[in-house]
This record gives sequence, structure tokens and C-alpha cells, in this order.
Amino acid sequence: MSESASDDKRGESYVFPDMQENIGHIRRMLGDPADLVIRIISIGGGERSCALAFLSGLSDKAVIDEQIVRQILKAGRFGQEDTGMDISEVLGGLRNETMSVSQVLEVNLWSDVIKAVLYGDTAMFLEGADDVLLIGTQNWKERSIDEPPTEALVRGPREGFTEKIETNIGLIRRGIRDMNLRFVSYTIGRRSRKTLILTYIQGIIHPAIVEEARRRLDTIDIDDAPESGFIEQWIEDSFLSPFPQLLHTERPDKVRAALLQGKAAVMLEGTPFALILPTTFVALIQSPEDYYERWLIGSLIRLLRYLAVIIALFAPAIYIALVSFHQGMIPFKLAFSIAAAREGVPFPAIIEAMVMEGTLELLREAGVRLPKPIGQTIGIVGGLVIGEAAVQAGVVSPIMVIIVAVTAISSFAIPSYSAGIAFRMLRFATMLAAGILGLFGIILTFIMISTHLVRLRSFGMPYSAPFAPMFITDWRDLVIRSPVTFLTKRPEFIQTKNINRANKRGKRS
Amino acid sequence: MKSFEYGDREIGTTEVVYGVSNMVIGFGVLTLPRSLAAMTESSDGWISLMIGGGAALVFGWLIALLCARFPKMGLSDMTKAVANGAVANVVAMLFACYTFLFVGYETRGLANISKLYLFDRTPEEAICLFFLLVLAYGVAGPSAALLRLNLIFLPLVLIIVFLVLTMNITFFNMHNLKPLFVTDWQDTLKATKGTVFSFLGFEIFLFYNAWANRPKAMKKAILGGLAIPLFIYLIVFVFVIGIFGSEVTKNTLYPTAELAKQVEIPGGFFERFESIFFTIWVVTLFNTAAMAFDVTIIALRTLFPKPKRMTWVIWLCPLIYLVSMQPQSVTEIDTFGEWISYAGLAIGWCLPAVLLGVAKMRRIKGNEQAS
Repeated sequence: MSESASDDKRGESYVFPDMQENIGHIRRMLGDPADLVIRIISIGGGERSCALAFLSGLSDKAVIDEQIVRQILKAGRFGQEDTGMDISEVLGGLRNETMSVSQVLEVNLWSDVIKAVLYGDTAMFLEGADDVLLIGTQNWKERSIDEPPTEALVRGPREGFTEKIETNIGLIRRGIRDMNLRFVSYTIGRRSRKTLILTYIQGIIHPAIVEEARRRLDTIDIDDAPESGFIEQWIEDSFLSPFPQLLHTERPDKVRAALLQGKAAVMLEGTPFALILPTTFVALIQSPEDYYERWLIGSLIRLLRYLAVIIALFAPAIYIALVSFHQGMIPFKLAFSIAAAREGVPFPAIIEAMVMEGTLELLREAGVRLPKPIGQTIGIVGGLVIGEAAVQAGVVSPIMVIIVAVTAISSFAIPSYSAGIAFRMLRFATMLAAGILGLFGIILTFIMISTHLVRLRSFGMPYSAPFAPMFITDWRDLVIRSPVTFLTKRPEFIQTKNINRANKRGKRS
Repeated sequence: MKSFEYGDREIGTTEVVYGVSNMVIGFGVLTLPRSLAAMTESSDGWISLMIGGGAALVFGWLIALLCARFPKMGLSDMTKAVANGAVANVVAMLFACYTFLFVGYETRGLANISKLYLFDRTPEEAICLFFLLVLAYGVAGPSAALLRLNLIFLPLVLIIVFLVLTMNITFFNMHNLKPLFVTDWQDTLKATKGTVFSFLGFEIFLFYNAWANRPKAMKKAILGGLAIPLFIYLIVFVFVIGIFGSEVTKNTLYPTAELAKQVEIPGGFFERFESIFFTIWVVTLFNTAAMAFDVTIIALRTLFPKPKRMTWVIWLCPLIYLVSMQPQSVTEIDTFGEWISYAGLAIGWCLPAVLLGVAKMRRIKGNEQAS
């Protein structure tokens, strides 16, 4: 069960019967740290004594004081040496009759003891006993369940994942009270030993997805995975692709919806970001709100987001292409105003666009780094002052500023932050292509992006599904979000084991 | 649908339908109205179109029969089963040459039209080069992905065609279509040649048959895929004649693109719609060329299994570039295209028909051979 590091020989050694020797050993192993607390108590005030060892920052002091120390001090009948009980009975007695803590384990391997202490449990060494009691006293200051700042919704539950994995599991369980909900746990990190949970609903998900996910998760072997981003990058299909192949989210409702669609999710201890797999291109553009609002609103908002993707990818490129290659395509009057606006601009459109888009990316990055109150200032200084000054100085044309602004807004309208970055990245490619070959270049990049998307797969699932390969039944929840009563089937392309998710005629039939 | 592996090496019926249409729709739509109008009187070209389409449907049906007879087998394996290995190699080589030249022609034609409608100064050489690079990228991946690309691209093409047609509806003049049935049958038959050519291309599915997951549905898929271009050709031809009249059409290089030129976007949001039309058109030309390129590589790999796919792509690209640069003028490009069409007719249509006949006579079926 314990995957102790192979270069760690201590893993095989057993606990000594002598208490003082044990105390010395644990001190030595952890390097006598300042937060290691050793408390020696005589049981019930008698001759027998025991020692508690725990790390002060990770354990719940109140539980140790009230439920362990106090109880041991009261357990008079285990304290006398002449009661005729042998030492293992005493240990068993302490475990079963004394501790008022729900989680108590009896082990004899040092590796288990050290691991438990490092997790925040308390080890109890009884003088003369071969075994050690590990008492569950883990406690960690946890922030409350807040609304996720990166994925705020107008309408929808205001809860988000936290850094504590137990809480996150609870958040999912609370929404799906199904006995087929599965949580497979892994220990990730040779040294960090974090818990990773793969969750899915047995009977809905296609077994091959679970199998593939487990195969990939099994290959992870790193010192530490500080964030689920490490897991994402380790198990994704193609590291060359600009598109995220696993969707990350802080919203439990999003994860629950994905599970019910026949997908799986990965959660890592220490981060509020869960990963949803497999992911498709369209999932990047969908938001839970599409379903919470009425279908007309949901569909329109979704259409708007598709439009945002197109603008974010192609707007500056089209401007460049029109201004430098196909001036004839611009309507007569507009052509004049563009020409007038570009009168004093010394650069070709491509340079102009690159400079402005580059500045915008800088502003965005600076805005993220700065503390909140200053961040807004940067927005104003950057957006208004630089834009205005650049136009006044004749470095860029006002129309370019408009285009850059619209593109930026569009790219932030995409619900998945990393997808937004992907589109912004590709935008520079389309701009470059437009600068070289005009509209022809834009269509060539479009072809390349499409080719790439069609080739890309996420856990064996085509990334471009259900567009290509086509699953017509899934189209009712694709560009248009059909009324809820029409969404009676789970997505076909995931090949779920259980197809129906609703009955249109209601419960009676 | 049972297998989870629909990702890699399987082609569904939808892919075949879309692939066939996309393969067939290419330059044909742009030039066909001119060549038809030149050879027939008034709007009688539609008769030739119907005859040409009928011929294509017959051959499509024969090819589908052959595919269904040898499920999960490409053309080389079929030939090997019917005749012998040597013949199969010759057939594969011929087919590879045909599709190879086809890619060259397509690339050059594309550069030619781009030059006309999109660029003033950019040389054709550069356009060809960039197109070939993208083509190489497209072909470098699995074939199934290329076929799946059709599902995204064909709707775009159909949408733009219908957009152009509906926006031209005000210019449509019924009198241009009259009189009917005035061309004599010899001219009609002569014009049929051009229409038959414009249906070439779908024969490459003889190779893709190796991955078709439902060989029985091949017949429906190929015929369905041919029906779409037939319909498009007919409606475009009728519109072109109805709007420009026979005389103007005769003397316009790309009448369909001129149709797009007439479009005026309401509100004057932008002008020169033909640029947009052609830009979208690049998408289907790319797909046609990419599938042909892909089949070239598949055919070559049956002959020389050793080199990797990427090696072929790298070696063939410069050759295609050289081939595409050979014709010196528009007339030469047309002649080039015509010869390729003859080759396609012989290798892609007649040869499979013969193969089917021999297979029927000798009662050879795919399943027994495969096992």
C-alpha cells in the first residue's frame, strides 16, 4: 500500500519495543524539527507510560488534548502493570476503549508511522509494545467555500472548490447522490505524496476512458505536483498543441455536469482546479450558464461566444489583409476614412497591429501581476492613455485601436481562460499570415487550425467531435442549446453506457 | 459504433458522402458554365450535365459495387485478388501518377485563380509554395483526419454557394433560359465530355475503402456524395445562364466567380464579394488536393512499404511544385487538366469497371481472399 521511495532503506525497519528508542528514532529521522511535539504521558497515572508524537502545525491540538491526552490520563485500568493483561491487549484496549477519535490504525512499520506523522496524524508509542497506534488528527486551516473568482456566473451556484480534497469530494457527492459515483485515489509525488482523485460515474462512462485515464495517471512519477496543471501536462495527448486537452474548472457544478455526461474528472490535493477529461473543442466555448438560463438566452449567448472566437482569431488579421492587400474590398467611404486615419502612420498595417496587440498582451499580463487596486489603474493608464497617446502621436491609427480593443474583449468572453490564451496565441499566427498573403494567408491558417483540431484527440476522443466525426443527435446541444426537455440523451460521441438522462414525458410514463 | 476506436483508422458513411462531394467539387463549378455555354445553345447545357452526371453515377455505382465486393481492401489488394501482384503494382503506380499530377494541376489552378481574384503583385510561385506547405502539413497526419476535415469544410462551401445564388436572385431573368431544347444532339454529347470531367475525383475512394467501416453502405454513400455536386452544378449553371445569358457566359473565364462579383452586401459592409467567395473556395480546393496527395502516398506505400509517410511527403512536395510550375499559360493549364482528366477516366473509372467485370466472371470475392 505504501509506495515508499525505493532508495529509502528505512522503509523496511520495524518499530522497537522500547519507547525511548522509538522517540530517538523518530527525532533522528525527521531531523529533530522544531514542530515535532513529543508528549510522554503515564497511562491513568500508573506505571505504564506512552508517548505521543505529532507535528504541531498539521494536527488538531484540540482533538489531541481533549480526545487523546485526557482520555489516556483517565484510563486507569490500563495503567497498572499487574493486571495480567499482556501488552498487545493493553494496546488494543487503549485503541478500542479509550480513544474517542474515529480513525485509529495499528501499524508496526516505520515507513507507515513517518508517513502518517507527516500527514498530520498522531503516533502513539506504548512502552513495550510492538505496534504503534496512528490516530487521525489531521487538521488544516481551510478557506471557506467561495465563489470561484475566475469563473463567475450571473446565475448559478456560488460554490467553488477549495484546496482541501476532502471538501472537494464532498462538493461532488453532495450534488450526485448516486452509489455508482466512484472516487479512485492515487498518491502523486515521490516526496510531496499528495492525494489525487479520479472520479467518474460507473455505468455511464465508457470503460475505455477510465482505463486510459488510469493508465496515464499510473505513469506519473515526479517529486511534486504543485497544481493540477502538472497532471494536465503529464497526461495530455499532445504537448505541441496550443489547445488545452483537459478542461480545468473551479466549479463543482461544471464537474458534476461533466460526470453525468459520461466524462471523468481529476482532482488534486492542494488546488481548487479540477480537470475534466476527455475534452472537446466545443466544451471550451460552453459555459454552465448556457443551461441555467432559458434556452433562447442560452443559445444566443453561446452563438455570441462562437462569434467571439472568430473575432479573437481573425479580426486583426482581416484588418491587415484588407488594408494591405485587398483595399478594393473596403467600401468606398470607409476606405477613405481608413486612408485618412492611416495618413500619418509610418508603419505597414502588420507592424501596427503587432505593436498594438503586443502592448495589449503586456497590459493583460501586468494587470494580472499587480495588486488589485493598482491593477485597475494599469487598465486605465494602458487602455486609455497609451491608446489615446499612440493615436495622437500618429504611431497607430484609431481604427487599429478599435480592432485591438474588440479583439481583446472577445478573447475574454471565452469561458475557458487557457482556451482564450490559445486563441490569442493563434491570433499572432493569423496576423503574420495575413501580412504575408492577405486573405489567402488567413484561409490557409484556418485550414491548418482545422486540420490540427481534427487530428487532435483527448483520451482517444476526437477533439473536433461532434462536428467531425459528426454526431447529429449531439448537435442539439452544440451551437444551439435546445430546450431542456429536448436534451434527453447523453452526448452520443462519448459512447456512454447509459444513454437517457431525461424523460420528456415526465415521471408518470 | 461499438468500437471506441473511431478515432484512428475508420471512415464512416458520412465521411464518404462528404468526401466524395468535396473531392468532386473543385474547379468544375468555376469553369463548367463557360465550357457548357460555349458548346450548347441557350440553357441546354443542363442536358449535357444530366448525361455527364448520369455517367458519373453509373461509374460511381460500379466503383461502389467493387468496394462492397472487397470490403476492407484498397485498390491494390483488389487488383491482386482479381489478377496478380504485378498487375496490382502497375495499377497502383498508374493511380499514383494520376493523383500526383492531379495535385500539381490543382495547386497550379488554385494559384492561377488566386492571382486573378486576390492578389495583384504576389507571384504564382509564392502562392503555390505556401499552398504546398499547408498541403504537406495536412497530409502529414492520418488519412481519416483528412476525410473528417470534409465534414467541416463542405458545409462552408455549400453555404457560400447558396449565399451567392440567393443574393443574385434579383438579377435572374427567365428569358435568358429560353428557348429550350435547341441544341442538336451531337453538340450536347460533345459538351458532355466536359461535364464528365468535372465529376472526376471520387475514384480515390477505391483506396479509402480499406478503412470504410460499413462497406455495404458504400453504394449509398458514393451515389449520395455524387448527387450533391450534380445538384450544385445544375443550379449554378441555370443561375449563371439566367443571369448573364449564354453569350456573356461564353466569354467569361470564371462565370461562377463573376456571379459572386455581382453580389452586393446589404448595407455595403464590404465590397468585392468574389474575394470572399474565392477565399472560401480555397478550402475545398485544399481538401481535394490533400485527399489526392494522400492517395498518392497510399498508393506509393503499397509499392514501397519501407519509407515512412513523412519521407514521401518531403520527397513528393518539391516534385509537385515542379510539376505545377510547368504550364506556362492558362491554355496550357487547361490542356494539362484535360490530359489528367483523360487519365482519370481511364484509370479511375474504366479500370475499376473492368476489374469488377473480371471479378464477377471469375467469381472472386473479397472475403474469401482476405481470410
